[in-house]
Amino acid sequence: MAGMDGPVDDALLRLGRHLRAGTVSDDLRTLHQIGGRQADAFYRDRWSHDKVVRSTHGVNCTGSCSWKVYVKDGIITWESQQTDYPSVGGDRPEYEPRGCPRGAAFSWYTYSPTRVRFPYARGVLVEMYREAKARLGDPVAAWAEVTADPDKRRRYQSARGKGGLVRVTWDEATEMIAAAHVHTIKAYGPDRVAGFSPIPAMSMVSHASGARFVSLVGGTMLSFYDWYADLPVASPQVFGDQTDVPESADWWDAAYLMLWGSNVPVTRTPDAHYMTEARYRGQKVVVVTPDYSDATKFADEWLAPHPGTDGALAMAMGHVILKEFFVDRQVPYFVDYVKRHSDLPFLVRLREHPESGAYVPDKFLTAADLGEEGQEAAFKTVLLDAVTGEPVVPNGSLGFRYSEEGQGRWNLDLGGVDPALTLNDGEGRPAVAVALPRFDQGGGDGVALRGVPVRQVAGCLVTTVFDLMLAQYGVGREDLPGRWPSSYDDGSAPYTPAWQEAVTGVPAAKAVKIAREFARNAEESGGRSMIIMGAGTNHWFHSDTIYRSFLALTTLTGCQGVNGGGWAHYVGQEKCRPVTGWAQMAFGLDWSRPPRQMIGTAFWYLHTDQWRYDTYDAGAVSSPLGGGAFAGKAAADLLSASARMGWMPSYPTFDRNPLELAEEAAASGQEAGPYIASQVASGELGFACEDPDAPANWPRVLTVWRANLLGSSAKGNEYFLRHLLGADSSLRATEAAPEHRPDDVRWRQDAPQGKLDLLLSLDFRMTSTTLFSDIVLPAATWYEKHDLSSTDMHPFVHAFSPAIDPPWQTRTDFAAFTAIARAFSTLAATHLGVRKDLVAVPLLHDTPDELATPGGVVRDWRAEGRTPVPGRDFPKIVTVERDYGAVAQKMAALGPLLDRLGTTTKGLTYDVSGEIGRLGRLNGTVRGGVADGRPSLARDVDMCETILALSGTTNGHLAAQGFATLGRRTGTSFDGLADEHKQITFADTQARPVPVTTSPEWSGSETGGRRYSAFTINVEHRKPWHTLTGRQHFFLDHDWIHEVGEALPVYRPPLNMTALFGEPGIGESGGQGLDGITVRYLTPHSKWSIHSEYQDNLLMLTLSRGGPNIWMSPADAARAGIRDNDWVEAVNRNGVVVARAIVSHRMPAGTVYMYHAQERVVDVPKSEISGKRGGIHNSLTRLMIKPTHLIGGYAQLSFAFNYLGPTGNQRDEVTVIRRRNQEVDY
Amino acid sequence: MNALDVVLWVVAPYVALTVFVLGHVWRYRYDKFGWTTRSSQMYESRLLRIGSPLFHFGILVVLLGHIGGLVIPKSWTEAAGVSEEAYHVVAVVLGTIAGVATLGGLAILIYRRRTVGPVFTATTRNDKLMYAVLAVTIVLGLAATVMANIVGGGYDYRTTISPWFRSIFYFQPDPALMAGAPLLFQLHALSALLLFAVWPFTRLVHMLTAPVGYLTRPYVVYRSRAEQPTGARAPRRGWEPSR
Repeated sequence: MAGMDGPVDDALLRLGRHLRAGTVSDDLRTLHQIGGRQADAFYRDRWSHDKVVRSTHGVNCTGSCSWKVYVKDGIITWESQQTDYPSVGGDRPEYEPRGCPRGAAFSWYTYSPTRVRFPYARGVLVEMYREAKARLGDPVAAWAEVTADPDKRRRYQSARGKGGLVRVTWDEATEMIAAAHVHTIKAYGPDRVAGFSPIPAMSMVSHASGARFVSLVGGTMLSFYDWYADLPVASPQVFGDQTDVPESADWWDAAYLMLWGSNVPVTRTPDAHYMTEARYRGQKVVVVTPDYSDATKFADEWLAPHPGTDGALAMAMGHVILKEFFVDRQVPYFVDYVKRHSDLPFLVRLREHPESGAYVPDKFLTAADLGEEGQEAAFKTVLLDAVTGEPVVPNGSLGFRYSEEGQGRWNLDLGGVDPALTLNDGEGRPAVAVALPRFDQGGGDGVALRGVPVRQVAGCLVTTVFDLMLAQYGVGREDLPGRWPSSYDDGSAPYTPAWQEAVTGVPAAKAVKIAREFARNAEESGGRSMIIMGAGTNHWFHSDTIYRSFLALTTLTGCQGVNGGGWAHYVGQEKCRPVTGWAQMAFGLDWSRPPRQMIGTAFWYLHTDQWRYDTYDAGAVSSPLGGGAFAGKAAADLLSASARMGWMPSYPTFDRNPLELAEEAAASGQEAGPYIASQVASGELGFACEDPDAPANWPRVLTVWRANLLGSSAKGNEYFLRHLLGADSSLRATEAAPEHRPDDVRWRQDAPQGKLDLLLSLDFRMTSTTLFSDIVLPAATWYEKHDLSSTDMHPFVHAFSPAIDPPWQTRTDFAAFTAIARAFSTLAATHLGVRKDLVAVPLLHDTPDELATPGGVVRDWRAEGRTPVPGRDFPKIVTVERDYGAVAQKMAALGPLLDRLGTTTKGLTYDVSGEIGRLGRLNGTVRGGVADGRPSLARDVDMCETILALSGTTNGHLAAQGFATLGRRTGTSFDGLADEHKQITFADTQARPVPVTTSPEWSGSETGGRRYSAFTINVEHRKPWHTLTGRQHFFLDHDWIHEVGEALPVYRPPLNMTALFGEPGIGESGGQGLDGITVRYLTPHSKWSIHSEYQDNLLMLTLSRGGPNIWMSPADAARAGIRDNDWVEAVNRNGVVVARAIVSHRMPAGTVYMYHAQERVVDVPKSEISGKRGGIHNSLTRLMIKPTHLIGGYAQLSFAFNYLGPTGNQRDEVTVIRRRNQEVDY
Repeated sequence: MNALDVVLWVVAPYVALTVFVLGHVWRYRYDKFGWTTRSSQMYESRLLRIGSPLFHFGILVVLLGHIGGLVIPKSWTEAAGVSEEAYHVVAVVLGTIAGVATLGGLAILIYRRRTVGPVFTATTRNDKLMYAVLAVTIVLGLAATVMANIVGGGYDYRTTISPWFRSIFYFQPDPALMAGAPLLFQLHALSALLLFAVWPFTRLVHMLTAPVGYLTRPYVVYRSRAEQPTGARAPRRGWEPSR
């Protein structure tokens, strides 16, 4: 062939000059022509669009990324990342651009086959309802008949999950929903109505519109943070705070960063860049994870403890830090920090423990012990002045928070007192041996005897928390009694590095090195060592102990409340920055208070009847040093105790309709509280939680929106299906034997199947929840509505804006609940009218209720045979008037209660009268009806404006007012923290993400453009934490905490499922007649989805293997005869899952991962074992309630919604995994 | 001459030609971006490098042979002094070689298409139909030539089939000419008509747009905008508005 410039080619090209228009260059290389570009239009049109609309995704991913949504010819075509986040300053990388492949795939849903386009209802139910309504002429009577007739009830309940949804009109759907609500309220009571919608921050108005309806009718909103097991119970325990953490830009400030059970590149994808960038600044990154996770490749050091043993590693690191930085050498920064900001210097009374012949730590020494009078005295903790040696009652403890004489003294000012950290003042000081429980030996009967220096103060033998800490961690000092480890290499006693190696598998030398580096870095940088922690370590039964051992590391080293330091706990999109405004909207606090708010885990545990399958007693988690308070008790007994003492909420509350109880109470002539208390004490009236299987006590109506309960969070999925819904299930467990059944909770012979009359869901895509629902309403997507978003990860609030109107018959959640409220009000006006409702309210955090239990001494009125006192050892009883015909009017207007009571967040009350006037002018006012003259909330944007106007973070005027109020209580100044002139409007948030201002609603400061980090206000402005001592707690002295042996940080291994439930041990063969092997079963979060969202998205399915799969190690696979991509079945007592195996060297032996929320809608075949469709990740899990999560009414251990409650943990589970027949059948 | 002859040799050719012409017009207007060979070279090239030239150069010679045999009247070649015998020898020898090359190439291409997974996956039902019709036509054509000239004593199609072919284009179709032709020639002609009828709807459309212009065109082409009156931008073409 001739070359490029061969004579033949040249001749041909020259010939071409004469064959076409245009100019051929002299070198024959190029041709210039004019025109002829018509074909370009196609390629230009491919990327042309009519408009770009800013919106975001409300998917609880914590990203809260701003996106450009492109629209062409009225069709959403694609999305791309916004880049205009406000700058975070010139000294660090910017936030922009944010996004991930999941968000970029979202627009697929708009027109996808999985889109819910029309209202649907269960066919058999609609037929029966229509027939009954035609005959009876009344929707409520029709609903009552269909749900009361056992055959009809069975017909539609057993059809749940089996298809058969038919199209209905919006009018018919809302009429049925309204009839169900009216009938339930009338027949059973408003607290039998429940709503579940999580994570307000991910779309505040959508959450609030439904929660507002549920709250205004007197229904129960279910908590989610504790239910998701995302709540680190250690946070209320240690900080007295739900959760407050640094934004991701603050990772840049950290000089030493540990990722501990958090897979940042996968689960915080848009923020991960700060971690990778900070490494170029010299930051050291340590990853602690059992598998070779995506985060591991960024690690300078990788520690791989066995799953669930992280607490042991942290305890050993604490041992090293206490030894080297507090005993061998005192680091001034650390010592000063813990004296001011922790409970370490406070005095603890010791109590003789006859059985062990030693002492045990008992309660904090308080001013009451010193002889001070008054209710608050028992809440003023005491320390020792190092100079004078005298006991001192410093400012800042709980006793100063609410009382008149505490005004101006609730602060961390030590006033010249130098607290004694230890009583170890030299030779010859008195010392006693203290018995400390240990749980690492399997039997739960371990006790370590270790000495602490002591003193007599006011007749009490006391020591300091610091001295107890050294004893607990096994850090010896001269001349103290007890058995102490001889060195780091002494593996015989907790909590040395060598001891830890035997538990975790992490080399002792490595644990020492990391601990030393972590503390050394904090010393040199002033506290800039950070631990990013997450669900990997937070979803265990004993995660509160794991987290307390982590928090000990950050508090001992002075890292909390420092930019670049401290804990950084990331789970869901928890931070609803404009929290006050949202709360008023969501719970209807502008019209009636209090709302009903329930701990989700307890609700599901009781009403899915998981309590009937607890084959162990609560004493199984007790300390060998405990008093046996839980022995022979079931978890359900402790729930009952917690409810009757007013610790935790319990809805449905009583075994009768609260509307009728209110009438009875009024008729009795007594006040409602004493009347109810005496009725309960006499046994006339019972708690519903003590007979949850009685039909009168079932929850009857459940509305789920912005959530996929059954496909994502429902631990014990098969129990939900069988007992709550009455659908087919693969549950294999047997009920508890009589000796394990509760004493205080009535056992009915036949467990109910199908408690719910109506499961209503609102969604834009078909999920496991919609498939089991009786009515499905078609929702607008995140590109089709107005709403607000915020997150922990960045300091901005920004808007959802509709790129298109909701297509087909879809509606925004706001519009849907407005329609439901209207239909409800129409029916309710005649069926219900104006009623009094009797609400039982638990003792609440950040209120004087915290003072209900002096010393954390539990006094059960029932055991003592007393009549309880509401608000002290019984729930408060509040009568609320409900005008049921006016619910729709109240929904659509800002109510008058705010004028009188203002808003209250975390104990601070704000006067919002100015804001109400402004909102009236902004939104317009309502004419006529019960809301005449009130600011309108008729449109979703009105609600957006209201949320922004009523919150300190978005309204600097309120933030400044709040700081002034706070300053009067603390006696210190917060001037200059809030930007008083900042007023964020909805239009601002639509234009661009807007940074919020510093507000007392949160504990960190953004003042002057600094990066948000939790507790900086506490540290820099001497504001107490909301705890008993006002400081961060290492020591907890509640009776129940002592009972489980967790007064101090302690290592507790994962639960032994063999001992509790008779499951085979890890590594053993299948048992139960099954082949395969037993492995730990973990459900971490996936790279290809956000919960169940995106796992059914075609674009994301093509990026992963698609369909359900379970990751396992080559070693386990070889033992079970499983090859990569084989179909396998995982089975335990809770159910069955069918999936494909992914055999990967990333996985540690003995553990399998089934990534969270792979749903039944994609490629799920039938199971060989059950013959039914092969389950989801939660088919193998179930709920287990940790008793200490039920504590209430005591300082920081008091209930608030999503602040404290039992976690829905699931990590301790095991499963048998086996190869199945490779022929699968759908 | 019966009705069948009229249908086969008058109606069918006109239908096929009409579909061929109008089909291409339609395809060009409505499926310009589908006007392609749908090349499978990226999936497999080793067999393609042998089969494709063998087939394409073979079919080009076959095409030239058909033009020579069908379009040029016998009287013209005789007037030019080419004897029937000489013509016949050249036609049969060249035609057989080209036919065998074409058929061999096609066999390689079909073998490749069936056995190479990615290529087979990229094969549509339309392709399969096209391959069948194309292969049948070529096999029948080659068979007719071989049967008539090598096995048999020779057949002078230039006195029957060629005049019939030309008569179609004079619009004076003479089916009688074709009715007497040997069966294999008839079948070949019919299969060819079918091929022309499906042609516009298959990848064969690429024949009409063979990129011969590339031979004489520089690789780099710059196109500047055509001059437009200022301020009067023509409406952009694109998707039609949805409402």
